Amino acid sequence: MNQLTFAIRQEAARILEENVVDVVIGFEVGTLPLKAQPAFITRKEEAEKLVYNGFCQNNLAAYLTRRPKEERIGIICRGCESRAVRALVIEHQHDRDKLYLIGVPCTGIIDWRKIEREVGENTLQAVEEGDEVIVTTRDGEHRFQRVDVLHDSCKRCLHPNPVGADIVLGDPLPEGDPERAWAPVLEFEALPPEERYAYFVQEAERCIRCYACREACPMCYCTECFVDHTTPRWAESMITPSGTQAWHIIRAFHQTGRCVSCGACERACPMDIKMTYLVDKLSYDMVQQYGFEVGASDEEQPPFAAFTLDDRNRFVR
Amino acid sequence: MYKVLPKTDLPKLIGRWMEQATVYAPVRQGDFTKFEPLSDPAQADLYYAANTRYPPKSLFLPQSEVMFRVKDGEFESTEDEVSSRVILGIHSCDTRALQLLDGVFLTGDYQDPYWAKKREQTTLVVLGCADPCETCFCTSVGSGPFDKRGADVMLIDIGDEYVADVRNEKGQALFGHLPDASRKQIDKSRQVQAAAAAGMKKPFETEGIKDKLYSLFDSDFWPKIQQSCLGCGACTFLCPTCYCFDIVDEAQRNERVRNWDTCMFRIYSQEASGHNPRPTNTERVRQRIMHKYAYFVELYDEIGCTGCGRCVRYCPVDLDIRQIIRSAQAWEES
Amino acid sequence: MHNPYKPIPMRIARTVVETDDQSLKSFELVFEREADREKFFAKYRPGQFCQLSIFGKGEAPFGVASAAWEGDFVRFTINKIGVFTRAIHKMKSGDAISMRGPLGNGFPIEDWKGSNILIIGGGYAFTTLFALAQHLLAPEIRSQYNDLTVIYGAREPGLFLYKEEIETWYKRDDINLYQAIDRPVEGWSHFVGYVPTVTKEIAPSAENTVSFVCGPPVMIKFTLPVLDELGFPPERIYTSLEKRMKCGIGKCGRCNVGHKYICKDGPVFTFAELRELPADL
Repeated sequence: MNQLTFAIRQEAARILEENVVDVVIGFEVGTLPLKAQPAFITRKEEAEKLVYNGFCQNNLAAYLTRRPKEERIGIICRGCESRAVRALVIEHQHDRDKLYLIGVPCTGIIDWRKIEREVGENTLQAVEEGDEVIVTTRDGEHRFQRVDVLHDSCKRCLHPNPVGADIVLGDPLPEGDPERAWAPVLEFEALPPEERYAYFVQEAERCIRCYACREACPMCYCTECFVDHTTPRWAESMITPSGTQAWHIIRAFHQTGRCVSCGACERACPMDIKMTYLVDKLSYDMVQQYGFEVGASDEEQPPFAAFTLDDRNRFVR
Repeated sequence: MYKVLPKTDLPKLIGRWMEQATVYAPVRQGDFTKFEPLSDPAQADLYYAANTRYPPKSLFLPQSEVMFRVKDGEFESTEDEVSSRVILGIHSCDTRALQLLDGVFLTGDYQDPYWAKKREQTTLVVLGCADPCETCFCTSVGSGPFDKRGADVMLIDIGDEYVADVRNEKGQALFGHLPDASRKQIDKSRQVQAAAAAGMKKPFETEGIKDKLYSLFDSDFWPKIQQSCLGCGACTFLCPTCYCFDIVDEAQRNERVRNWDTCMFRIYSQEASGHNPRPTNTERVRQRIMHKYAYFVELYDEIGCTGCGRCVRYCPVDLDIRQIIRSAQAWEES
Repeated sequence: MHNPYKPIPMRIARTVVETDDQSLKSFELVFEREADREKFFAKYRPGQFCQLSIFGKGEAPFGVASAAWEGDFVRFTINKIGVFTRAIHKMKSGDAISMRGPLGNGFPIEDWKGSNILIIGGGYAFTTLFALAQHLLAPEIRSQYNDLTVIYGAREPGLFLYKEEIETWYKRDDINLYQAIDRPVEGWSHFVGYVPTVTKEIAPSAENTVSFVCGPPVMIKFTLPVLDELGFPPERIYTSLEKRMKCGIGKCGRCNVGHKYICKDGPVFTFAELRELPADL
């Protein structure tokens, strides 16, 4: 067992025993070797189930808006989860006083697809050892450098350290390099329009409208999503290009200045669609044009959500 | 009747079929395979290990299907717009699923003409699984990697050749001209089949599952296991036996269409009055599991799951149906 | 092969505003094709429903509110509540509309020849019960059954449906009609009180009697114990269920209660049948 797992179990058991929280949201061992499962621990004895490793692929903050309003929640927070918590609190979706953030500096999530692309689909066991991931399949053992199999969003992570946590377990990590983080956005932007469009079409084409991306996203919490609105219908219902493309574009716009760049949407997608580049571009613009980054402050509203009554635009009044 | 086909002759055979029918086979697309109409026999990728990502039920119940073209208030139906097809390389689990869905679409007072027509026009050349995946569990739900039910032909890979178990006239039309398999080849094919099934794990027991699930209907089991479920449609859309659909008018296209729908979505059962009989994720997860492992059993005396493992592999939170059934069987009310 | 999803062309022959608040309107539809009319009436029995469709606004299920002998039309009484119903409320006589049906099982009234019939309805849910009562009042049918009793409640007098027709029932001696409103109103000469209370007061005999009960959930909830007290076994209490539907023929999967589909196995069930099903409504 790694040290972080041990520390998380101890802290979870403590806050449950001392009645600081009603539930601790973390991860437990999954049924598939390359994926951990979200876990909901309500008794201190169960804290022994908790694990923490690079296979913990979900953004746990997505559960906050699904839990009963009165519940006091302890939650394992990596950088992206803690920034999502801040954003949710700013958007009045959660009461910070009811949360206890167990911060964990994050070395990145292992992308099971990258591994299975290499070793096939029959993983029997997977463990992390230092900078390596050791995967056992029916054909034997395969070793990977951790850095090679990280999820793309984690490779360009700017803030692996949790913000505003109640306790931080583990040593802080160096912050990410903005130049490296934004490089894919700039590279994509430099492509000719027809290439960019071709990429978009190719990704959107695989979409099956299961909305796993939306459901895995901590910031997609609307009770009624625009795409579900039927009175009248706002988006074409079919999996035609116009239907799926509209879905991805509008979802991206709704994330402007709100996306925490965790990549949970891409990890959730059953069709391997890579669409975060759209929001990454919008996040980049937010930084460039408004100096705004989600989760940097615990009170600043996203620029597109903020307004005052003396706004010079009339629509507010 | 057993025929034999050297693997090197397969492209030629596919080419022959293509003269008279549209031939669908798994075609590689990036990291996964999907059943597509072939334009060249070489596109067929029969060595796909896990099942195709997207279930071949879509060839019978497309995710979006035009039911009617509407002109001046006249509804012109489209069910006849399908011609002869061969589906090559479909696995037993997906074939079994089509058979289970025949129960839904082709029995009772009303038959679904869209489904019926496509079934009628299609020959299924099933490829048995010599090497089932870790996430496969067909043998636990009353099937197996070489389940021949529903197959017009079953191909068994014995190395350099396929042994073709030709099951009926439809199969005969495609394979009848080939030489008969030898005693030795048939024996080899039996060994392959037995070995594949024997190597599979049994993740849960289905004995009594229907009654157990009924007994858990109001239990704490569902609120507990649904906690990690995000309520997306990945499991149901990839599922070969999920068939729920919505009927929608696309006025700008002048079409009445049906789209896959899923009991996992909140709006699925939302009524115009605002009342929702399945208001939370708990009722929706319960519906999904009970439909397959209780209601389907009640109606057709078969489990409505074929153990293809897609929902296991692609659930974003690893909420594993094998684990759910196992936990249900073990659940005791506290 | 017959395409059960394909609607037939109909025309609106007459519309009637039913309630004082304008929220409920009846639409009497006539057939554009003689063959469709014949097919419909060969199959129709009270308690069945149809899918009405206005292309672009979709389809929606509505119970039939007329008996076959009333004429060559099919009546639907529709509450203005969603996209479809708002659209149909704007339609006038002469307008074209599409329809599928009749669908569902309907009330198994033929099984109860020689019995007393008790109909209990509340509010807007009275539509198919009205069709049932009208059906029973046809001369050649009425003689096949014993006493016919109708208890019908609404919040206030203006909210009763089919006022003209019901007024004629008072003049007949082969139907016992009890209308009730929730609170006293000047000029109201019938019952005052909720349906369960009124039912208790009237205390219809359960002997050789079968009952058909439709109304808002709260009415059903409190009427059932009254019927139980009066001696009605659940096998002799029928109701009609509603759930979101699309296909109407048991294919699309959405209206199930346990392994039963309301559109195909219902919408009419006895309470004995419902007791066997999981509580999924």
